[in-house]
Amino acid sequence: MAASAISVEGAHFSYGEREVLKGISFEVAPGEVLGFLGPNGAGKSTTIRLLTGQLKPSAGDVRVLGRDVHKDRSQVMGRVGVSFEEKNLYPSMSAEENLRFFARLYGVPQPDVRGLLAQVGLETRARDMVAGYSKGMRQRLMIARALVHDPDVLLLDEPTDGLDPVSSEAVRDVIRGRVAAGNAVLLTTHDMHEADELAHRVAFINEGEIYALDTPESLKLAHGRRSVKVRLRDAEGVREEAVELDGEAAGARIAELMASGEVITIHTAEATLEEVFIGMTGRGLA
Amino acid sequence: MSTRRTREFFARGAPTHAPSHAGIVAAIVRKDLTTFGRDRLWMILTPLALLMFIGIYWLMPPRVDETLVVGVHPPAMAAALKIAMGVDEGDPALTVVPFEDVEAMAAAVADADAVPEGAERPLVGISLPLDLLLRARLGQSATATVYVGTNVPDEVRSAMATAVREVAATAAGAPLPVDWTADDVIVLGTDRAGEQIAARERMRPLMAFIVLLTESLALASLVSVEVTQRTASALLASPARTVDVLLAKGLVGTLLAFSQALILLVATRAFGPSWPVLLVAVLLGAMMMAGIGMLTGAAGHDFIGTLFYGMGFLLVLMVPAIGELFPGSAAAWVQAIPSYGLVEAMVGSSVYGLGFADLAMPLLAAAGWVVVVFMLGWWALGRKLVQT
Repeated sequence: MAASAISVEGAHFSYGEREVLKGISFEVAPGEVLGFLGPNGAGKSTTIRLLTGQLKPSAGDVRVLGRDVHKDRSQVMGRVGVSFEEKNLYPSMSAEENLRFFARLYGVPQPDVRGLLAQVGLETRARDMVAGYSKGMRQRLMIARALVHDPDVLLLDEPTDGLDPVSSEAVRDVIRGRVAAGNAVLLTTHDMHEADELAHRVAFINEGEIYALDTPESLKLAHGRRSVKVRLRDAEGVREEAVELDGEAAGARIAELMASGEVITIHTAEATLEEVFIGMTGRGLA
Repeated sequence: MSTRRTREFFARGAPTHAPSHAGIVAAIVRKDLTTFGRDRLWMILTPLALLMFIGIYWLMPPRVDETLVVGVHPPAMAAALKIAMGVDEGDPALTVVPFEDVEAMAAAVADADAVPEGAERPLVGISLPLDLLLRARLGQSATATVYVGTNVPDEVRSAMATAVREVAATAAGAPLPVDWTADDVIVLGTDRAGEQIAARERMRPLMAFIVLLTESLALASLVSVEVTQRTASALLASPARTVDVLLAKGLVGTLLAFSQALILLVATRAFGPSWPVLLVAVLLGAMMMAGIGMLTGAAGHDFIGTLFYGMGFLLVLMVPAIGELFPGSAAAWVQAIPSYGLVEAMVGSSVYGLGFADLAMPLLAAAGWVVVVFMLGWWALGRKLVQT
């Protein structure tokens, strides 16, 4: 029996002559969030479309819940919830109607529409047409739609895009709840803080290749610089000094600063995931 | 994650509420009909077009007036002219109206207002000299004048001139050396003399076709919106397969077109003894329009693009229906248009009451084209959905 909820092994995909996925491999276990990080055009959406069976890999193996996505697409997709980056809802239908329609596609006869809308804070707007929804409301409805059939696997493409901080936190709470219930989550995002906060592991994807796949902590330790920021007050005023911890002279320098009596504060200056990404790929996430 | 939880996770197997594909198709059809019902443009356009066509049909004259009214001066010559033209009493094809005054006859031909109340207006006026018979017998020439209105066709003018010459020849004792009666005229096919097809009957297939094509634009619009708003992606990320979406679109397009055309045909009393043939023809037409709707919906990138492609199809497919407005056979290139067989079957069944045996060829041709157009639409939309 397979232990991974999502398993991608050496997947290749090309749009005509352009190869957009160059043999990527990764796994996501039940109860795990894998952050899929990369700039636009890196291959994140193509990977999601491989996982939903909309695209077929030219080579490699794509499995969800131990089944070949292409061969058993309908059965597999019955247990996968997807939230797309584009807010592809039906604007001339209400939130309730949108959810009921998708519930019918998944064969759910009695969906808990009110409960789902309450989870994402839309219960009071259930009967309003989606055309009148703000971008943030649509995004929250997308999350509710992904959960309408109580899936085991969630594929979330930029789930907090366009949300205010309060709504973002509400969506993150929903995701945490699903993970605690055993859902496997593939989360693509530009937001490094979100990935850091939610993902058990992150994969850096760039130009169709996975550059790194590990826990955020390990990546930061392995690829970031260890340093502390020391704020000092001297005759000329307040100044800041970064002390690299990896150097041999680090201990002596910190002791020297402490002895000077000018130290106001000392902060750890841990590398961010974005800095690690830039350091590894030579490009930003935008 | 604990081993126990992992085991539970995979032990769930397929969802117990696994949907049937028929259920998925039904859900998409229901959704499409809901969104169609909420589209203001189509909700105004569809009933408006139906009401307009039904109104036009019932406002148009139900019969073709085939009676030719001929004025004659002097009245004494009316009897001779009737004999020369072979007019029997009560003949609906020709009425001879005697005029006392040649000026009054000419005025009546030229202007309907000059016709006395209750009298029939002549299309043609023939003024013959009073001494025509005498002069003819003496072998002397006489001058007759034929008055015609501006809208009288050439063939009627020639026929009137010939009739005058025949009156003179008969009067001179030299009747034409040809003897024939109405029974000697052999009509090849159904004799429509006295029962010509009214213009509104000829227009009905055209109206039905415009309604069918309007609904193909409605489907194209539904398809185009599904693609541009990327809701198709959401559908295909569910257990719905591409074939389910295509089947649903085909059904919605057929249903919309068939129902609208049916309303029009019922409201214009098109269903006569050959109603099963007409029903089959309309169903084939609706399926063809569904194919065209899928094709144009896939081709257009937005509403304007869809409308552009849709109008292109509409103009070409309307040609055979327009051709039915005019007498005569359709040119070979018109017969090659996919809608030709459908129009022939619709006209044949609704106007002439022809059955399946008589219309087998047009129906077969139409069915062949329906398969071609539907498959093309299926292929184009399927490609588009996968690329979305």
